[in-house]
Amino acid sequence: MIAAATRGLYFARTSLRGIAATPGTAIVATATITVALVLVGAFGLVVLNMQELLARVGDAVQVTAFLTEGLPEADRTALAARVGDLEGVAGARLVSEAEALERFRGGVGQGFALLEGLGANPLPASIEVTLEDAYRTSADLSRIASVVARLPGVADITSGADWVEGYVRALALVRGLAIGLGVIFVLATTLIVSNTIRLAVLSRRDELEILALVGASRAFVNTPFLIEGLLQGAAAGLTAWTLLYALFRLVLPGFESGLELVLGGIAPRFFDAAESAWLCGGGAGLGLLGSAIAVASEARR
Amino acid sequence: MRPRARWRSPASRAEAKRAATGEAAAQLFHVSKSYVAGTYALRDVSLEFGRGEFVFLTGPSGAGKTSLLRLVFAAERPSEGQIVVLGRNASRISQHSVPELRRRIGVVFQDFKLLARRTVEENVGLALDVVATPRRVARARVFEVLKQVGLQHRRYQSPLSLSGGEQQRVAIARALINEPDILLADEPTGNLDPDLTLEIMDLIADTATRGTTVVVATHDQSILGRFRKRTVRLEAGRVTEDRAAPGAAK
Repeated sequence: MIAAATRGLYFARTSLRGIAATPGTAIVATATITVALVLVGAFGLVVLNMQELLARVGDAVQVTAFLTEGLPEADRTALAARVGDLEGVAGARLVSEAEALERFRGGVGQGFALLEGLGANPLPASIEVTLEDAYRTSADLSRIASVVARLPGVADITSGADWVEGYVRALALVRGLAIGLGVIFVLATTLIVSNTIRLAVLSRRDELEILALVGASRAFVNTPFLIEGLLQGAAAGLTAWTLLYALFRLVLPGFESGLELVLGGIAPRFFDAAESAWLCGGGAGLGLLGSAIAVASEARR
Repeated sequence: MRPRARWRSPASRAEAKRAATGEAAAQLFHVSKSYVAGTYALRDVSLEFGRGEFVFLTGPSGAGKTSLLRLVFAAERPSEGQIVVLGRNASRISQHSVPELRRRIGVVFQDFKLLARRTVEENVGLALDVVATPRRVARARVFEVLKQVGLQHRRYQSPLSLSGGEQQRVAIARALINEPDILLADEPTGNLDPDLTLEIMDLIADTATRGTTVVVATHDQSILGRFRKRTVRLEAGRVTEDRAAPGAAK
Protein backbone atom coordinates (compact mmCIF):
# COMPACT_ATOMS: atom_id res chain seq x y z
CA MET A 1 0.00 0.00 0.00
CA ILE A 2 2.78 2.40 1.06
CA ALA A 3 4.84 1.26 -1.93
CA ALA A 4 1.90 1.93 -4.27
CA ALA A 5 1.33 5.39 -2.77
CA THR A 6 5.06 6.17 -2.96
CA ARG A 7 5.14 5.05 -6.57
CA GLY A 8 2.00 7.01 -7.40
CA LEU A 9 3.48 10.15 -5.91
CA TYR A 10 6.69 9.60 -7.82
CA PHE A 11 4.79 9.17 -11.10
CA ALA A 12 2.66 12.26 -10.47
CA ARG A 13 5.73 14.33 -9.56
CA THR A 14 7.73 13.08 -12.53
CA SER A 15 4.85 13.66 -14.97
CA LEU A 16 4.29 17.24 -13.84
CA ARG A 17 8.02 17.84 -13.87
CA GLY A 18 8.16 16.42 -17.39
CA ILE A 19 5.46 18.79 -18.59
CA ALA A 20 7.25 21.70 -16.96
CA ALA A 21 10.56 20.63 -18.53
CA THR A 22 9.17 20.59 -22.08
CA PRO A 23 6.33 23.14 -22.04
CA GLY A 24 6.52 23.66 -25.81
CA THR A 25 5.72 20.06 -26.67
CA ALA A 26 3.05 19.95 -23.96
CA ILE A 27 1.35 23.03 -25.43
CA VAL A 28 1.52 21.66 -28.99
CA ALA A 29 0.05 18.31 -27.92
CA THR A 30 -2.72 19.93 -25.88
CA ALA A 31 -3.57 22.46 -28.60
CA THR A 32 -3.71 19.74 -31.27
CA ILE A 33 -6.09 17.61 -29.26
CA THR A 34 -8.17 20.69 -28.43
CA VAL A 35 -8.58 21.67 -32.10
CA ALA A 36 -9.56 18.12 -33.06
CA LEU A 37 -12.06 17.88 -30.23
CA VAL A 38 -13.60 21.28 -31.00
CA LEU A 39 -14.15 20.30 -34.65
CA VAL A 40 -15.49 16.85 -33.88
CA GLY A 41 -17.53 18.26 -30.99
CA ALA A 42 -19.08 20.93 -33.20
CA PHE A 43 -20.17 18.33 -35.74
CA GLY A 44 -21.36 16.18 -32.86
CA LEU A 45 -23.54 19.01 -31.62
CA VAL A 46 -25.11 19.51 -35.04
CA VAL A 47 -25.84 15.78 -35.39
CA LEU A 48 -27.19 15.64 -31.85
CA ASN A 49 -29.62 18.49 -32.44
CA MET A 50 -30.74 17.17 -35.80
CA GLN A 51 -31.40 13.78 -34.25
CA GLU A 52 -33.30 15.47 -31.48
CA LEU A 53 -35.49 17.20 -34.02
CA LEU A 54 -36.13 13.97 -35.89
CA ALA A 55 -37.11 12.23 -32.66
CA ARG A 56 -39.54 15.02 -31.73
CA VAL A 57 -40.96 15.38 -35.21
CA GLY A 58 -41.28 11.60 -35.31
CA ASP A 59 -44.08 11.78 -32.80
CA ALA A 60 -45.99 13.92 -35.25
CA VAL A 61 -45.16 11.84 -38.32
CA GLN A 62 -48.41 10.37 -39.42
CA VAL A 63 -50.62 9.45 -42.39
CA THR A 64 -53.96 11.20 -42.64
CA ALA A 65 -56.66 9.42 -44.62
CA PHE A 66 -59.59 11.67 -45.60
CA LEU A 67 -62.83 9.72 -45.83
CA THR A 68 -65.39 9.90 -48.61
CA GLU A 69 -68.31 12.15 -47.86
CA GLY A 70 -71.34 10.45 -46.31
CA LEU A 71 -69.54 7.24 -45.24
CA PRO A 72 -71.74 5.59 -42.59
CA GLU A 73 -70.50 5.62 -39.00
CA ALA A 74 -70.24 1.80 -38.85
CA ASP A 75 -68.05 1.75 -41.98
CA ARG A 76 -65.88 4.50 -40.58
CA THR A 77 -65.29 2.54 -37.37
CA ALA A 78 -64.60 -0.67 -39.29
CA LEU A 79 -62.19 1.17 -41.58
CA ALA A 80 -60.31 2.67 -38.61
CA ALA A 81 -60.04 -0.79 -37.03
CA ARG A 82 -58.74 -2.25 -40.30
CA VAL A 83 -56.11 0.48 -40.64
CA GLY A 84 -55.12 -0.03 -37.01
CA ASP A 85 -54.32 -3.69 -37.76
CA LEU A 86 -51.84 -2.85 -40.53
CA GLU A 87 -48.17 -3.68 -39.95
CA GLY A 88 -46.26 -0.78 -38.40
CA VAL A 89 -49.34 1.16 -37.39
CA ALA A 90 -49.30 2.22 -33.75
CA GLY A 91 -52.80 3.68 -33.76
CA ALA A 92 -55.65 4.78 -36.06
CA ARG A 93 -57.88 7.51 -34.67
CA LEU A 94 -61.13 8.51 -36.24
CA VAL A 95 -61.61 12.29 -36.48
CA SER A 96 -65.19 13.37 -37.23
CA GLU A 97 -66.10 16.40 -39.35
CA ALA A 98 -67.16 18.22 -36.18
CA GLU A 99 -63.87 17.51 -34.40
CA ALA A 100 -61.94 18.63 -37.46
CA LEU A 101 -63.84 21.91 -37.45
CA GLU A 102 -63.23 22.33 -33.72
CA ARG A 103 -59.49 21.85 -34.26
CA PHE A 104 -59.51 24.30 -37.13
CA ARG A 105 -61.26 26.83 -34.99
CA GLY A 106 -58.60 26.42 -32.29
CA GLY A 107 -55.89 26.75 -34.89
CA VAL A 108 -56.97 29.88 -36.75
CA GLY A 109 -58.41 31.82 -33.79
CA GLN A 110 -59.87 35.16 -35.03
CA GLY A 111 -59.69 33.93 -38.62
CA PHE A 112 -62.52 31.55 -37.86
CA ALA A 113 -64.95 34.29 -38.78
CA LEU A 114 -63.98 33.65 -42.42
CA LEU A 115 -65.71 30.26 -42.27
CA GLU A 116 -68.92 31.68 -40.87
CA GLY A 117 -70.31 32.43 -44.32
CA LEU A 118 -69.81 28.91 -45.65
CA GLY A 119 -72.82 27.51 -43.81
CA ALA A 120 -72.15 23.73 -43.86
CA ASN A 121 -68.93 22.29 -42.38
CA PRO A 122 -66.56 21.92 -45.36
CA LEU A 123 -64.04 19.73 -43.51
CA PRO A 124 -64.10 15.95 -44.16
CA ALA A 125 -63.86 13.19 -41.56
CA SER A 126 -60.47 11.50 -41.43
CA ILE A 127 -58.42 8.73 -39.84
CA GLU A 128 -55.11 9.81 -38.31
CA VAL A 129 -52.60 6.98 -38.53
CA THR A 130 -49.60 7.10 -36.19
CA LEU A 131 -46.66 4.77 -36.75
CA GLU A 132 -44.59 2.59 -34.46
CA ASP A 133 -41.10 4.03 -33.77
CA ALA A 134 -39.33 1.54 -36.00
CA TYR A 135 -41.61 2.39 -38.95
CA ARG A 136 -41.09 6.17 -38.91
CA THR A 137 -39.10 6.12 -42.11
CA SER A 138 -40.01 7.61 -45.44
CA ALA A 139 -40.24 4.15 -47.04
CA ASP A 140 -42.65 2.84 -44.44
CA LEU A 141 -44.62 6.06 -44.51
CA SER A 142 -45.07 5.73 -48.28
CA ARG A 143 -45.89 2.03 -48.05
CA ILE A 144 -48.54 2.49 -45.37
CA ALA A 145 -49.98 5.56 -47.12
CA SER A 146 -50.39 3.64 -50.39
CA VAL A 147 -52.05 0.67 -48.64
CA VAL A 148 -54.46 2.98 -46.78
CA ALA A 149 -55.20 4.98 -49.98
CA ARG A 150 -56.47 1.82 -51.68
CA LEU A 151 -58.93 0.96 -48.93
CA PRO A 152 -62.60 1.57 -49.80
CA GLY A 153 -63.94 4.71 -48.13
CA VAL A 154 -60.67 6.63 -48.37
CA ALA A 155 -60.94 9.67 -50.62
CA ASP A 156 -57.51 11.22 -50.24
CA ILE A 157 -54.37 10.80 -48.24
CA THR A 158 -51.45 12.92 -46.97
CA SER A 159 -48.15 11.96 -45.34
CA GLY A 160 -44.85 13.67 -44.46
CA ALA A 161 -42.81 11.06 -46.35
CA ASP A 162 -40.98 13.50 -48.60
CA TRP A 163 -40.02 15.82 -45.77
CA VAL A 164 -38.87 12.95 -43.57
CA GLU A 165 -36.88 11.41 -46.42
CA GLY A 166 -35.04 14.66 -47.11
CA TYR A 167 -34.33 15.33 -43.47
CA VAL A 168 -33.12 11.79 -42.78
CA ARG A 169 -30.85 12.04 -45.80
CA ALA A 170 -29.41 15.34 -44.56
CA LEU A 171 -28.94 13.88 -41.11
CA ALA A 172 -27.16 10.82 -42.51
CA LEU A 173 -24.89 13.11 -44.53
CA VAL A 174 -23.97 15.26 -41.53
CA ARG A 175 -23.52 12.18 -39.36
CA GLY A 176 -21.33 10.51 -41.96
CA LEU A 177 -19.31 13.69 -42.31
CA ALA A 178 -18.90 13.88 -38.54
CA ILE A 179 -17.79 10.26 -38.32
CA GLY A 180 -15.44 10.62 -41.28
CA LEU A 181 -13.90 13.80 -39.94
CA GLY A 182 -13.80 12.25 -36.48
CA VAL A 183 -11.79 9.29 -37.75
CA ILE A 184 -9.44 11.57 -39.71
CA PHE A 185 -8.97 13.91 -36.75
CA VAL A 186 -8.40 11.04 -34.33
CA LEU A 187 -5.75 9.53 -36.61
CA ALA A 188 -4.08 12.87 -37.32
CA THR A 189 -4.21 13.91 -33.69
CA THR A 190 -2.83 10.59 -32.49
CA LEU A 191 0.03 10.93 -34.95
CA ILE A 192 0.82 14.51 -33.94
CA VAL A 193 0.48 13.82 -30.22
CA SER A 194 2.61 10.68 -30.42
CA ASN A 195 5.30 12.65 -32.25
CA THR A 196 5.25 15.52 -29.75
CA ILE A 197 5.42 13.08 -26.83
CA ARG A 198 8.26 11.36 -28.64
CA LEU A 199 10.09 14.68 -28.67
CA ALA A 200 9.59 14.82 -24.91
CA VAL A 201 10.91 11.27 -24.59
CA LEU A 202 13.95 12.14 -26.69
CA SER A 203 14.64 15.33 -24.75
CA ARG A 204 14.77 13.26 -21.57
CA ARG A 205 16.76 10.38 -22.98
CA ASP A 206 19.58 10.97 -20.48
CA GLU A 207 17.12 10.55 -17.65
CA LEU A 208 15.70 7.36 -19.12
CA GLU A 209 19.19 5.95 -19.60
CA ILE A 210 20.04 6.61 -15.96
CA LEU A 211 16.75 5.18 -14.76
CA ALA A 212 17.43 1.99 -16.72
CA LEU A 213 20.92 1.93 -15.23
CA VAL A 214 19.64 1.97 -11.67
CA GLY A 215 17.20 -0.85 -12.34
CA ALA A 216 13.99 0.84 -13.44
CA SER A 217 11.61 -1.45 -15.31
CA ARG A 218 10.20 -0.38 -18.67
CA ALA A 219 6.81 0.21 -17.08
CA PHE A 220 8.40 2.43 -14.44
CA VAL A 221 10.13 4.50 -17.11
CA ASN A 222 7.08 4.71 -19.38
CA THR A 223 4.32 5.40 -16.86
CA PRO A 224 5.13 9.12 -16.33
CA PHE A 225 4.95 9.69 -20.10
CA LEU A 226 1.57 7.96 -20.27
CA ILE A 227 0.32 10.12 -17.39
CA GLU A 228 1.65 13.20 -19.20
CA GLY A 229 -0.34 12.27 -22.30
CA LEU A 230 -3.42 11.57 -20.23
CA LEU A 231 -3.17 14.90 -18.41
CA GLN A 232 -2.58 16.86 -21.62
CA GLY A 233 -5.51 15.08 -23.27
CA ALA A 234 -7.79 15.74 -20.30
CA ALA A 235 -6.76 19.41 -20.28
CA ALA A 236 -7.49 19.56 -24.01
CA GLY A 237 -10.89 17.96 -23.41
CA LEU A 238 -11.79 20.56 -20.82
CA THR A 239 -10.53 23.39 -23.02
CA ALA A 240 -12.48 22.07 -26.01
CA TRP A 241 -15.64 21.77 -23.91
CA THR A 242 -15.20 25.35 -22.67
CA LEU A 243 -14.62 26.67 -26.19
CA LEU A 244 -17.63 24.81 -27.56
CA TYR A 245 -19.79 26.07 -24.72
CA ALA A 246 -18.61 29.62 -25.33
CA LEU A 247 -19.34 29.28 -29.06
CA PHE A 248 -22.73 27.79 -28.28
CA ARG A 249 -23.69 30.57 -25.91
CA LEU A 250 -22.05 33.58 -27.57
CA VAL A 251 -21.86 32.86 -31.29
CA LEU A 252 -24.85 30.64 -32.03
CA PRO A 253 -27.53 33.28 -31.28
CA GLY A 254 -26.14 35.28 -34.23
CA PHE A 255 -27.22 32.51 -36.62
CA GLU A 256 -30.79 32.18 -35.48
CA SER A 257 -32.34 32.23 -38.95
CA GLY A 258 -30.01 29.50 -40.20
CA LEU A 259 -30.77 27.41 -37.14
CA GLU A 260 -34.47 27.89 -37.68
CA LEU A 261 -34.00 26.40 -41.12
CA VAL A 262 -32.14 23.35 -39.83
CA LEU A 263 -33.85 22.74 -36.52
CA GLY A 264 -37.28 24.23 -37.06
CA GLY A 265 -38.73 25.66 -33.89
CA ILE A 266 -36.61 23.48 -31.62
CA ALA A 267 -34.16 25.32 -29.37
CA PRO A 268 -30.65 23.91 -29.86
CA ARG A 269 -29.19 22.12 -26.88
CA PHE A 270 -25.61 21.67 -25.63
CA PHE A 271 -24.00 18.41 -24.49
CA ASP A 272 -25.49 16.94 -21.32
CA ALA A 273 -23.27 15.75 -18.45
CA ALA A 274 -22.65 12.30 -19.91
CA GLU A 275 -21.84 13.67 -23.38
CA SER A 276 -19.52 16.28 -21.85
CA ALA A 277 -17.75 13.51 -19.93
CA TRP A 278 -17.32 11.62 -23.21
CA LEU A 279 -15.74 14.70 -24.82
CA CYS A 280 -13.25 15.19 -21.96
CA GLY A 281 -12.67 11.44 -21.71
CA GLY A 282 -12.07 11.31 -25.45
CA GLY A 283 -9.37 13.96 -25.05
CA ALA A 284 -7.73 12.03 -22.26
CA GLY A 285 -7.96 8.86 -24.33
CA LEU A 286 -6.35 10.56 -27.34
CA GLY A 287 -3.50 11.84 -25.16
CA LEU A 288 -2.99 8.41 -23.64
CA LEU A 289 -3.07 6.70 -27.03
CA GLY A 290 -0.54 9.17 -28.47
CA SER A 291 1.78 8.65 -25.50
CA ALA A 292 1.44 4.88 -25.68
CA ILE A 293 2.39 4.89 -29.36
CA ALA A 294 5.33 7.22 -28.63
CA VAL A 295 6.80 5.15 -25.80
CA ALA A 296 6.18 1.89 -27.67
CA SER A 297 7.98 3.15 -30.76
CA GLU A 298 10.85 4.51 -28.64
CA ALA A 299 11.13 1.20 -26.80
CA ARG A 300 11.54 -0.60 -30.14
CA ARG A 301 14.49 1.60 -31.12
CA MET B 1 12.84 -12.11 -3.68
CA ARG B 2 15.88 -10.25 -2.49
CA PRO B 3 15.32 -8.34 0.78
CA ARG B 4 15.43 -4.62 0.17
CA ALA B 5 16.50 -3.36 3.58
CA ARG B 6 19.78 -4.77 4.78
CA TRP B 7 21.13 -2.54 7.49
CA ARG B 8 24.17 -4.18 8.94
CA SER B 9 27.58 -2.93 9.86
CA PRO B 10 30.10 -2.85 7.03
CA ALA B 11 32.08 -5.67 8.61
CA SER B 12 29.13 -8.01 8.95
CA ARG B 13 27.97 -7.15 5.43
CA ALA B 14 31.34 -8.06 4.08
CA GLU B 15 31.38 -11.33 5.93
CA ALA B 16 27.86 -12.14 4.85
CA LYS B 17 28.61 -11.46 1.24
CA ARG B 18 31.81 -13.49 1.22
CA ALA B 19 30.30 -16.37 3.12
CA ALA B 20 26.92 -16.37 1.44
CA THR B 21 27.57 -18.91 -1.27
CA GLY B 22 31.20 -18.87 -2.07
CA GLU B 23 30.23 -18.38 -5.69
CA ALA B 24 31.83 -15.69 -7.80
CA ALA B 25 30.17 -12.32 -8.26
CA ALA B 26 30.62 -12.60 -12.02
CA GLN B 27 32.00 -15.27 -14.31
CA LEU B 28 32.70 -15.02 -18.01
CA PHE B 29 33.09 -18.22 -20.03
CA HIS B 30 34.67 -17.87 -23.47
CA VAL B 31 32.85 -14.62 -24.05
CA SER B 32 33.08 -12.83 -27.37
CA LYS B 33 31.33 -9.66 -28.40
CA SER B 34 31.08 -8.49 -31.96
CA TYR B 35 29.29 -5.31 -33.07
CA VAL B 36 30.22 -5.64 -36.72
CA ALA B 37 30.53 -9.03 -38.42
CA GLY B 38 34.15 -10.17 -38.33
CA THR B 39 35.29 -7.49 -35.84
CA TYR B 40 35.44 -8.34 -32.17
CA ALA B 41 35.32 -5.98 -29.20
CA LEU B 42 35.94 -8.99 -26.97
CA ARG B 43 37.31 -12.34 -28.03
CA ASP B 44 37.15 -15.57 -26.03
CA VAL B 45 37.37 -13.90 -22.64
CA SER B 46 37.14 -16.14 -19.57
CA LEU B 47 37.33 -14.39 -16.21
CA GLU B 48 36.01 -14.63 -12.72
CA PHE B 49 35.44 -11.79 -10.25
CA GLY B 50 35.18 -13.07 -6.69
CA ARG B 51 32.79 -11.64 -4.13
CA GLY B 52 34.34 -8.65 -2.41
CA GLU B 53 37.25 -8.64 -4.85
CA PHE B 54 38.77 -5.43 -6.25
CA VAL B 55 39.83 -5.77 -9.88
CA PHE B 56 41.33 -3.29 -12.32
CA LEU B 57 40.59 -3.73 -16.00
CA THR B 58 43.25 -2.01 -17.99
CA GLY B 59 44.43 -1.70 -21.52
CA PRO B 60 44.54 0.87 -24.30
CA SER B 61 41.48 2.60 -25.67
CA GLY B 62 39.35 0.18 -27.69
CA ALA B 63 40.74 -2.83 -25.82
CA GLY B 64 37.24 -3.90 -24.78
CA LYS B 65 37.09 -2.64 -21.17
CA THR B 66 33.79 -0.81 -21.57
CA SER B 67 32.27 -3.65 -23.58
CA LEU B 68 33.15 -6.07 -20.80
CA LEU B 69 31.54 -3.85 -18.17
CA ARG B 70 28.41 -3.42 -20.32
CA LEU B 71 28.09 -7.17 -20.60
CA VAL B 72 28.31 -7.54 -16.82
CA PHE B 73 25.47 -5.10 -16.17
CA ALA B 74 23.42 -6.63 -18.97
CA ALA B 75 23.38 -3.56 -21.18
CA GLU B 76 24.40 -5.94 -23.93
CA ARG B 77 24.51 -9.66 -24.54
CA PRO B 78 27.58 -11.58 -25.62
CA SER B 79 27.78 -12.78 -29.22
CA GLU B 80 29.30 -16.01 -27.94
CA GLY B 81 29.92 -17.56 -24.55
CA GLN B 82 28.15 -17.27 -21.22
CA ILE B 83 28.19 -14.72 -18.41
CA VAL B 84 26.94 -15.52 -14.94
CA VAL B 85 26.37 -12.46 -12.76
CA LEU B 86 25.29 -12.87 -9.15
CA GLY B 87 24.09 -16.37 -9.92
CA ARG B 88 22.09 -15.38 -13.01
CA ASN B 89 23.00 -16.12 -16.58
CA ALA B 90 23.25 -12.61 -17.99
CA SER B 91 23.59 -13.93 -21.55
CA ARG B 92 20.11 -15.43 -21.42
CA ILE B 93 18.37 -13.17 -18.94
CA SER B 94 14.96 -11.91 -20.07
CA GLN B 95 14.47 -8.17 -20.60
CA HIS B 96 11.93 -8.33 -17.81
CA SER B 97 14.57 -9.56 -15.33
CA VAL B 98 17.32 -7.13 -16.27
CA PRO B 99 16.11 -4.34 -13.91
CA GLU B 100 16.15 -6.74 -10.97
CA LEU B 101 19.78 -7.65 -11.70
CA ARG B 102 20.76 -3.99 -12.17
CA ARG B 103 19.41 -3.10 -8.74
CA ARG B 104 22.25 -5.23 -7.35
CA ILE B 105 24.90 -3.54 -9.48
CA GLY B 106 26.15 0.03 -9.11
CA VAL B 107 27.71 1.72 -12.13
CA VAL B 108 29.94 4.81 -12.27
CA PHE B 109 30.92 6.49 -15.54
CA GLN B 110 33.62 8.89 -16.60
CA ASP B 111 30.99 11.50 -17.55
CA PHE B 112 29.10 11.09 -14.24
CA LYS B 113 25.68 10.81 -15.92
CA LEU B 114 23.91 13.07 -13.46
CA LEU B 115 20.61 14.78 -14.16
CA ALA B 116 21.13 18.52 -14.31
CA ARG B 117 17.44 19.26 -13.65
CA ARG B 118 17.46 17.40 -10.36
CA THR B 119 19.15 18.11 -7.08
CA VAL B 120 22.02 16.07 -5.72
CA GLU B 121 19.60 14.40 -3.31
CA GLU B 122 17.20 13.47 -6.11
CA ASN B 123 20.02 12.14 -8.29
CA VAL B 124 21.30 9.90 -5.54
CA GLY B 125 17.79 8.79 -4.58
CA LEU B 126 16.81 7.65 -8.10
CA ALA B 127 17.61 4.02 -7.39
CA LEU B 128 15.42 4.18 -4.28
CA ASP B 129 12.52 5.69 -6.27
CA VAL B 130 12.72 2.70 -8.59
CA VAL B 131 12.08 0.28 -5.72
CA ALA B 132 9.35 2.53 -4.23
CA THR B 133 11.23 3.33 -1.04
CA PRO B 134 9.07 5.61 1.13
CA ARG B 135 10.24 9.21 0.84
CA ARG B 136 11.19 9.60 4.48
CA VAL B 137 13.29 6.43 4.47
CA ALA B 138 14.84 7.36 1.13
CA ARG B 139 15.86 10.83 2.34
CA ALA B 140 17.50 9.37 5.43
CA ARG B 141 19.37 6.81 3.34
CA VAL B 142 20.47 9.43 0.80
CA PHE B 143 21.75 11.62 3.61
CA GLU B 144 23.73 8.71 5.02
CA VAL B 145 25.37 7.89 1.67
CA LEU B 146 26.06 11.54 0.88
CA LYS B 147 27.74 11.77 4.27
CA GLN B 148 29.93 8.82 3.31
CA VAL B 149 31.13 10.73 0.26
CA GLY B 150 31.30 14.03 2.18
CA LEU B 151 28.57 15.85 0.27
CA GLN B 152 25.63 15.92 2.66
CA HIS B 153 25.80 19.71 2.80
CA ARG B 154 25.35 19.89 -0.99
CA ARG B 155 22.23 17.75 -1.19
CA TYR B 156 19.83 20.49 -2.30
CA GLN B 157 22.13 21.86 -4.98
CA SER B 158 22.12 21.16 -8.68
CA PRO B 159 24.94 18.86 -9.83
CA LEU B 160 25.95 21.62 -12.25
CA SER B 161 27.02 23.78 -9.30
CA LEU B 162 29.52 21.13 -8.15
CA SER B 163 33.14 20.54 -9.17
CA GLY B 164 34.06 17.53 -11.30
CA GLY B 165 35.28 15.61 -8.27
CA GLU B 166 32.13 16.38 -6.36
CA GLN B 167 29.97 15.31 -9.28
CA GLN B 168 31.79 12.00 -9.44
CA ARG B 169 31.28 11.56 -5.71
CA VAL B 170 27.55 12.10 -6.26
CA ALA B 171 27.63 9.45 -9.00
CA ILE B 172 29.39 7.08 -6.62
CA ALA B 173 26.83 7.81 -3.91
CA ARG B 174 24.07 6.99 -6.42
CA ALA B 175 25.82 3.73 -7.31
CA LEU B 176 26.16 2.77 -3.65
CA ILE B 177 22.72 3.80 -2.43
CA ASN B 178 21.28 0.27 -2.76
CA GLU B 179 24.40 -1.36 -1.27
CA PRO B 180 25.20 -3.16 -4.51
CA ASP B 181 26.89 -6.54 -4.67
CA ILE B 182 28.98 -5.29 -7.59
CA LEU B 183 30.31 -1.80 -8.32
CA LEU B 184 31.45 -1.20 -11.89
CA ALA B 185 33.39 1.97 -12.66
CA ASP B 186 34.28 2.89 -16.23
CA GLU B 187 37.21 5.31 -16.23
CA PRO B 188 35.78 7.03 -13.14
CA THR B 189 38.69 9.45 -12.90
CA GLY B 190 39.10 10.14 -16.58
CA ASN B 191 37.86 13.71 -16.24
CA LEU B 192 39.57 14.54 -12.96
CA ASP B 193 42.89 16.04 -11.95
CA PRO B 194 45.43 13.88 -10.02
CA ASP B 195 44.34 15.01 -6.53
CA LEU B 196 40.69 14.35 -7.20
CA THR B 197 41.62 11.06 -8.87
CA LEU B 198 43.13 9.79 -5.63
CA GLU B 199 40.17 11.03 -3.62
CA ILE B 200 37.70 9.21 -5.86
CA MET B 201 39.77 6.03 -6.00
CA ASP B 202 40.02 6.01 -2.19
CA LEU B 203 36.25 6.17 -2.05
CA ILE B 204 35.86 3.31 -4.52
CA ALA B 205 38.51 1.20 -2.79
CA ASP B 206 36.72 1.76 0.50
CA THR B 207 33.62 0.20 -1.04
CA ALA B 208 35.48 -3.05 -1.66
CA THR B 209 36.40 -3.31 2.01
CA ARG B 210 32.68 -3.54 2.76
CA GLY B 211 32.26 -6.68 0.70
CA THR B 212 31.23 -5.20 -2.64
CA THR B 213 32.96 -6.59 -5.71
CA VAL B 214 34.59 -3.64 -7.44
CA VAL B 215 35.66 -3.65 -11.08
CA VAL B 216 37.37 -0.47 -12.28
CA ALA B 217 38.22 0.08 -15.94
CA THR B 218 41.15 2.47 -16.25
CA HIS B 219 44.19 3.09 -18.34
CA ASP B 220 45.71 5.39 -15.72
CA GLN B 221 49.02 3.73 -14.77
CA SER B 222 49.43 5.94 -11.70
CA ILE B 223 46.28 4.46 -10.21
CA LEU B 224 47.42 0.92 -10.95
CA GLY B 225 50.75 1.67 -9.29
CA ARG B 226 49.21 3.18 -6.20
CA PHE B 227 46.33 0.75 -5.64
CA ARG B 228 48.01 -2.59 -5.86
CA LYS B 229 45.07 -4.82 -6.78
CA ARG B 230 44.38 -7.65 -9.18
CA THR B 231 44.81 -6.28 -12.68
CA VAL B 232 43.37 -7.77 -15.84
CA ARG B 233 44.87 -6.39 -19.03
CA LEU B 234 42.88 -6.42 -22.23
CA GLU B 235 44.29 -5.81 -25.68
CA ALA B 236 42.25 -5.97 -28.87
CA GLY B 237 39.47 -7.72 -26.98
CA ARG B 238 41.62 -10.48 -25.49
CA VAL B 239 42.92 -10.95 -21.95
CA THR B 240 46.67 -10.65 -22.24
CA GLU B 241 47.49 -10.56 -18.56
CA ASP B 242 45.68 -11.38 -15.31
CA ARG B 243 47.95 -10.32 -12.46
CA ALA B 244 46.87 -11.09 -8.90
CA ALA B 245 47.17 -8.44 -6.20
CA PRO B 246 50.60 -8.52 -4.57
CA GLY B 247 50.43 -10.85 -1.61
CA ALA B 248 47.13 -12.37 -2.64
CA ALA B 249 46.80 -16.16 -2.58
CA LYS B 250 46.71 -17.69 -6.04
